[in-house]
Amino acid sequence: MPDEATRLNEGSGQRLSRRDLVRGAALAAVGVTASVASVTTARIAPRKHDATGPATARQFPEPTTVPLDGDVDPLIRMQADLRRAMAKPVEERRWTMVIDTRKCVGCHACTIACIAENKLPPGVVYRPVVQEEFGEYPNVQLRYFPRPCMQCDEPPCVPVCPVNATWKRPDGVVAVDYDRCIGCRYCVVACPYGARTSDFGLDYSDGTPAPQPYEELPNHEYGKSWDRANHGSPVGNARKCQFCLHRLEEGMLPQCVTTCIGRATYFGDANDPDSLVSEKAREPNQIRLLEEHGTKPRVSYLV
Amino acid sequence: MNEPRVDLSRRRLLKHGAFLGGGMLAAALAGEKAAAATQNAILGGGRADAPYEFGDPEHTLYTVCQNCNTGCGVKVKIQEGLAAKIDGSPYSPWSLFPHLPMSTSLDEAARIDSAICPKGQAAVQTVYDPYRIRKVLKRAGKRGENKWRSIPFDQAVAEIVEGGRLFADVPGEEDREVEGLRSIRALTDDTVAKAMADDVKKLLDEKDPEKKRALVEAFTVTHAANLGALIDPEHPDLGPRNNQFVMAWGRMKGGRSDFMRRFGSGFGTTNLHGHTTVCQGSLYFTCKAISEQYEAGKFTGGQKFYWQADTENARYILFVGANLFEANYGPTNRTVRLTENLASGRTRIAVADPRFSKLASKAETWLPLRPGEDAPLALAIIRWLIENEGYDATFLRAANRAAAAANGETSWATGSWLVEIKDGKPGKFVRASDLGIVPAEMRSIPDPKDATKTIEYEEKFFLVWRDGRPVAFEPNDDTTPVEGDLFVDTAIAGVQVKSGLQLLRESAEQRTIAEWCELAGVAERDVVHVARELARHGKQAGVDIHRGPAQHTNGFYNVLAWMSVNMLLGNFDWKGGMVKATTYGYDGTKGGVLDLTKVPGKVTAFGISSIRHDLAYEKTTLFDGYPAKRNWYPLSSDVYEEIVPSIGEAYPYPVKALFLYMGTPVYALPAGHTNIDVLADVAKLPLFFVSDVTVGTTSMYADYVFPDLTWLERWEFHGSHPNMPNKVQPVRQPTAAPIPETATVYGEEMPVSFEALLMGLAEKLDLKAFGPDALGEGLDLRRPEDFYLRAVANLAAGEKPDLEDAVPAADARELEIFTRSRAHLPASVFDEATWREIVGEELWPRVVYVLNRGGRFEEHAKGFDGDRLKHVYGKLLCLYQEKTAGVKHSGTGEALPGVATYVPLRDFAGNDLSAQSEGYDLQLITHRTITQTKSRTIGNYWLQPIMPENAVLMNPADADRLGLRDGQQVRIVSATNPEGVWDLKNGRKKPIVGALKLTQTMRPGVVSFVLGFGHWATGAEDIVVDGEVVKGDPRRATGIHANAAMWTDPALRHTTCLLDPVGGSVSFYDTKVRVEPA
Repeated sequence: MPDEATRLNEGSGQRLSRRDLVRGAALAAVGVTASVASVTTARIAPRKHDATGPATARQFPEPTTVPLDGDVDPLIRMQADLRRAMAKPVEERRWTMVIDTRKCVGCHACTIACIAENKLPPGVVYRPVVQEEFGEYPNVQLRYFPRPCMQCDEPPCVPVCPVNATWKRPDGVVAVDYDRCIGCRYCVVACPYGARTSDFGLDYSDGTPAPQPYEELPNHEYGKSWDRANHGSPVGNARKCQFCLHRLEEGMLPQCVTTCIGRATYFGDANDPDSLVSEKAREPNQIRLLEEHGTKPRVSYLV
Repeated sequence: MNEPRVDLSRRRLLKHGAFLGGGMLAAALAGEKAAAATQNAILGGGRADAPYEFGDPEHTLYTVCQNCNTGCGVKVKIQEGLAAKIDGSPYSPWSLFPHLPMSTSLDEAARIDSAICPKGQAAVQTVYDPYRIRKVLKRAGKRGENKWRSIPFDQAVAEIVEGGRLFADVPGEEDREVEGLRSIRALTDDTVAKAMADDVKKLLDEKDPEKKRALVEAFTVTHAANLGALIDPEHPDLGPRNNQFVMAWGRMKGGRSDFMRRFGSGFGTTNLHGHTTVCQGSLYFTCKAISEQYEAGKFTGGQKFYWQADTENARYILFVGANLFEANYGPTNRTVRLTENLASGRTRIAVADPRFSKLASKAETWLPLRPGEDAPLALAIIRWLIENEGYDATFLRAANRAAAAANGETSWATGSWLVEIKDGKPGKFVRASDLGIVPAEMRSIPDPKDATKTIEYEEKFFLVWRDGRPVAFEPNDDTTPVEGDLFVDTAIAGVQVKSGLQLLRESAEQRTIAEWCELAGVAERDVVHVARELARHGKQAGVDIHRGPAQHTNGFYNVLAWMSVNMLLGNFDWKGGMVKATTYGYDGTKGGVLDLTKVPGKVTAFGISSIRHDLAYEKTTLFDGYPAKRNWYPLSSDVYEEIVPSIGEAYPYPVKALFLYMGTPVYALPAGHTNIDVLADVAKLPLFFVSDVTVGTTSMYADYVFPDLTWLERWEFHGSHPNMPNKVQPVRQPTAAPIPETATVYGEEMPVSFEALLMGLAEKLDLKAFGPDALGEGLDLRRPEDFYLRAVANLAAGEKPDLEDAVPAADARELEIFTRSRAHLPASVFDEATWREIVGEELWPRVVYVLNRGGRFEEHAKGFDGDRLKHVYGKLLCLYQEKTAGVKHSGTGEALPGVATYVPLRDFAGNDLSAQSEGYDLQLITHRTITQTKSRTIGNYWLQPIMPENAVLMNPADADRLGLRDGQQVRIVSATNPEGVWDLKNGRKKPIVGALKLTQTMRPGVVSFVLGFGHWATGAEDIVVDGEVVKGDPRRATGIHANAAMWTDPALRHTTCLLDPVGGSVSFYDTKVRVEPA
């Protein structure tokens, strides 16, 4: 990972001001410059009210008008994989993501799709794309790393939460309950990937002649309706990528997957050996970020 | 399925709104949120689960993105009555690969989201932009002073039509009488117009100057009664005063283009001009020259179009000046067709670009060529291909259609045809009958313009050289194959002749490969590698070019050189080779139910255009030796950089009124500040009105700004692009409730828009092109849907009779979804009963079927036929161009080369650019980033964090030499803008200053900046409306826009940028600048 905020920004070479950071200019910068918390699992409290068992299985009918065989877009195949996974109880699913950096063109479509889907305000970003330049003219190269939440199997963000508002779900996703979160930001600091940011309640049309109504539409995270109007949750809370659990529940792929113009992001159930993501997870040119921290990330990269 | 919810909450409505006029959005739509049972499906706790609308067809509308010009199919998702989210449409071949067949049900498609670039997604902020205007604004200060008064639509229309002392309250304009459109439209009788047009054509075609003068004399006698309608009776070829109304546009697609043409026809002006040359004009117009066909004894019918590579099937592509991961046509559709092939190793690419682009990051070879030296690089490759026989000899030998067919080809080239060499210079192809080889024949063909007539002509036959003798042929002969030797240099009956390929070889042999590479600034071994790979993959290889080669003073010949490489490879019409766009028709001319192009009350337009295009200088009564006052463009059109400066110099004639739609020449053009001199001067341009969504960087100089609809609120037929192998027609349609206020035109209420403006003017002028019976007897054109829905009906009905290739009819479920998904649209936009009535009950379900999918798209597999493309070009390719060789440069009087040639950078007078280069050591280029489309995306705030401001990109080696450091503020200056400012002519000068960013991705000696930043309007700065200050947003003013540092042409008195006199392109990448600490 780059260690300078400037590398995250494709614009000028200037360092980012605090205002830029607050307004979201820095994307991942907050986390990557933060100190890394020690990893411990001792304080992870089980969330007994996570539903499990047959009631969590979802039956989505096979489409009858969508061609599923032969030459299909990987999105169609992964959605079929998703239907199979959702037919199982939640504890039998192991969501995982593989990002093929050879196919990533650094377009940031995933970043913006995530902002639009989860209605992220300035300063909150779940999936930045980190761009790096290396080499010397004419032997120069550019590299792009999309950076979602790694949904670590040993998540450093979880044990630091004083109110048990964040936990590891049975399907592997690290969730946040905004109604319990007190906004202390311990988790924001604890994440070595910078995957969590705080919602300061800002709007993009702040300071303009006409604040825009779309900014107050409720978002759909976790299948609930979160209305930011009147400073309701998630304003003031820590926020992070949750693999679009609310879309999975509808049989739809995470937004960063569907919007990828290079089809670089693979998503699915690692417990299903026939899934496309399992095929990709078997490829030898695979790396995980900051594995030395013992976080056991569920996101890997093909390089 | 969930109930559709249209509960745009009253609370949100009361709190918000667009800034002008103070009004709220359309009346709140009543409704209630479907109560969801508490399930805790994902998350426990006390909060109830909520339904997810974004997977419902009732909350999904399909349309076409226009946050750039790629035209990706999108689905717009509606939440609480607002366009809340934009995703890729799985029905569109731009967004899913392969895309879903149209037979996929709406219920299933609603749950399949597909790809779309970040800019398209951020268009939510294009429609909900705090700086959008809702009412017509009239200038309340000097031009450019940015003081406005909101006035009723009807008042604005009446003032523009009737004229008068419209700005009597503006100091200095107390007595200025503005001539209105009614007075400018001097010629209203089409019988007179047609007779005048015929006589003007005769005098233009007369070559003898004496006889031409006599024809002018005769004209004044014949048309004595109507001479007052002419701009200048001594120059009847200038046409009627109607031509003094110019209609110009930036981005305009099908449908809106029909409204524009319809108005122009009714008004009787010849001056309808687009913006092509600021984009990649010389790419279009070189390909037009390549596609000229031999018909009835002459070369004609060239298409304004171009080819790109079949990205999904090519094995090897050299991309030149093409930035397809961030721009081009475009990121979403081309990237997906490439990335899997690149990762698997099936396809390899090379990139020629002075800047190491994101595309270059996936290439095996980067050729960091020197800007403007494309032809040397292409000629090096051509020379290598010829010397190493890396060309397709079989393809090139075919001289006519029959020979191409015999080889299994669909197209053929002029490479083997013999060209006459006079005084050492190639000119026309030799004609066999002129040399007595075969007799000429009188022939006749049906007139393509009028089926009742035939065209008689003398067929003189062309020649190739074969087996030691000349062989005569006719290019379109499909029965007798004729092939010719490739490289011929001989004499026939005392006439020296060479083959087209011989001329190309001689052009390539002017320098060695090493010398060409030296000029291009690239390594010879890399160039040879690329040439070898192109040859190795032949028809599955190609050179894919875009703005890079085209936007130079030598753009035409750069493009011709690159396209000549493709002709040598013989890759046209092959899978993996060169593709062209193919579309389903909507205007009724290809079939369908109603021809929408017929215009009642039309006044035949004639006369020289205000940008002097489509006509040779020498034919006109303005001919006065060389150089001409300004350039003439017989081979190109839509010359954007000429529109305003030609008005400023009143050449060929003064213009009294200008209408500009969705364009900002001041911001977009190189040296666009030159346009301000004209636009801010009421003496040069007496009346200027625009259609825009905000007060923009050019519309701020207008007298009237009419609010327009964004692409989410309106109609259009987007068409296709040359990398799309499938036949398509994406349809843009209203998906969001409109922000502007409504107006009443022809008794109908509609949002103020481009269409409302033109129809309002037409109603006031009593033009029959709009209103009752405008589309035929009993077929009114009173509101936009009268046109657009009938066009959709044409598209749905198909091109064959009896609905043989019509789309299916929507079933009951689909009809229900159609209605419910539009519940948030007000009656001024969507009224189902009216819509049904317009298209009729029979076609209505088929129209719904098309609109429910955002267009008509052929299935993926149908784009191919074995090894070939299904939709082929299938015609002659002019490798040597007789028509081009017959044109003279109006600056120098020299004949143009007819074959790919190295032409160094020049000004209009033919001088090299060394004088203005002296003391300026860096070459300025520009590029695009995926988050900005020039002038129109700066208000898309979601995109800002990715690039909050742009910068001047420079190689660290240059910075070391100049003592500059990363991040410091720098100013860009040039010989024609030594101060380094935008002089806005309103008392303000905006410095051309931005941050310096050092990067190894720049070729040393070249600096670049991203287009899209450095605004001085469009919400970036304060304006005054109705006496109140509307504060600008500093986030919209960040960064640098250095176009004003680009060179103006000294030979054109610095009134415009440097330009390509042949292809019309502006010079975007030729200026030498200095970068100084600010």
